[in-house]
Amino acid sequence: MNIKGLKLVIALTILAFMYSCGNDSTEKLPIMGRTQYKEIDGKLDTIYHTIPEFQFVDQDSMIVTEETFKDKIYVADFFFGTCPTICPVMKQQMLRVYDAFKDNPNFGILSHTIDPEHDTVAYLKEYSMRIGVEDNSVWKFVTGDQDEIYEIGSAEGYLVPVGEDADAPGGFIHSGAFILIDKEKRIRGLYDGTKSIEVSALINDIPKLLAEYEK
Amino acid sequence: MIFLNFWLNMKNNKVGSGRIPYRNVSYLFLLFGIILSACETGSKSANENVQSRLSNKELKYFSHGKQLYTQYCSNCHMENGEGLGTLIPPLKGADYLLDSVAQMARAIKYGIRGPITVNNIEYNQPMPANPDMTSLEIMELLIYISNAWGNESKPVGLQEVEDITGSK
Repeated sequence: MNIKGLKLVIALTILAFMYSCGNDSTEKLPIMGRTQYKEIDGKLDTIYHTIPEFQFVDQDSMIVTEETFKDKIYVADFFFGTCPTICPVMKQQMLRVYDAFKDNPNFGILSHTIDPEHDTVAYLKEYSMRIGVEDNSVWKFVTGDQDEIYEIGSAEGYLVPVGEDADAPGGFIHSGAFILIDKEKRIRGLYDGTKSIEVSALINDIPKLLAEYEK
Repeated sequence: MIFLNFWLNMKNNKVGSGRIPYRNVSYLFLLFGIILSACETGSKSANENVQSRLSNKELKYFSHGKQLYTQYCSNCHMENGEGLGTLIPPLKGADYLLDSVAQMARAIKYGIRGPITVNNIEYNQPMPANPDMTSLEIMELLIYISNAWGNESKPVGLQEVEDITGSK
C-alpha cells in the first residue's frame, strides 16, 4: 500500500475512534437561565440566574440550606415517594451518578419531595435506605414547606415545572430533569433523568465542571 | 452495517485496481465498522431462547407484551426487570411472580397495597391499578414478564386471565 493509502487509513481510524467513543474536550459548560446586564460605573456587569437561598430538612432531620453545598457542585431533582410514573427510573439513573461521584468531597445530590405531606423525614429515610443510599453525607432527600419547594423548582430557582395536578397520575406533575448546579449556584446543565443516554452526558459533564475549579 | 455492505459489494464486483487496491480497502472498511461499533454497549441477548421455546403466536403476544411493559411497567420495574433496591421488587427470577403467574393478572388490573415478600425480601410500595387494560393486554404482558430476562413459564391463556380478573 502506498503512502497516500496509509494516510487515509490512519485518518479514518482516528475519525472512527472519535465518532465511536466521543472526545473529552475541555470546553466549558453553558451558563443557563436568563442573564441580566447592569451598568456599574460605566461598565456593563453580567448577572447570571442563580438558585435563591433555601432551607429544607433531610432524611436524617438535618437542616439543609445553600450553605450545605458551599464549595460543592450538586445535582438537584424533584420526585415523590408514591409516584407511579417516572420517579423510580429517575432514582435508578441518579444512583448511577451517585455511584460515580459519591467519594468526591466537592459533589452532592439534592432530591426534593414535592409531596411533603406524605413524604415525612421518616419516610424519606426509609425510601433512601431502600434504594441503597446508606447515609445523608452525599445525597440529601429533603422535605419542607410545600410552597417553598414549588417556588424553588419554578422560574425562581431550578427552572422546572413542579406542582399539584389532580389529573396527573399520583396527583402531582413534575419534571424528570436533573439540574447541575455550580459553586456559584448557577445552572450549568439540564438533563432528562429518565433517559440513560442523557444521564451519561451528565456523568460526562460533572468532571468538566469540577475541572473549572481546579486552577 | 453499511460498512459490511460496502465490503460485500466491492468483493463481488471485483472492480479494477487503482492506486489504492480496492480489495484491500474493502477489508479496511470492515475494520472501521468493527471499531465504530466497539464502544457501543453490549446487545441484549437475554430473551434469545424465547424464540425456540414459544410458538409463533405466543411470540407475537410476547412482543406485544414487551411494548405494554415499556408503557406501563418499566419506569418502576426497570427495563431489565430487576426493580430498584428494596423499594421496587424485581420480576426477573421473582418467586412471587413465577410461582403463580396467572394470579398476577389481578395485581396488574387492580394494583397492590401493603407489604409483599419477594425472594425473602419484604417490599412495601403501592403498585397502581390498571383498570383500563383489557384481558388480552394483561395476558400479553404476563407472557412477556414470565418469559423475559431468563424467566421461563408456560404462557397463560386468555380464559385464565378473564376468570381471575372477573372481566373480559
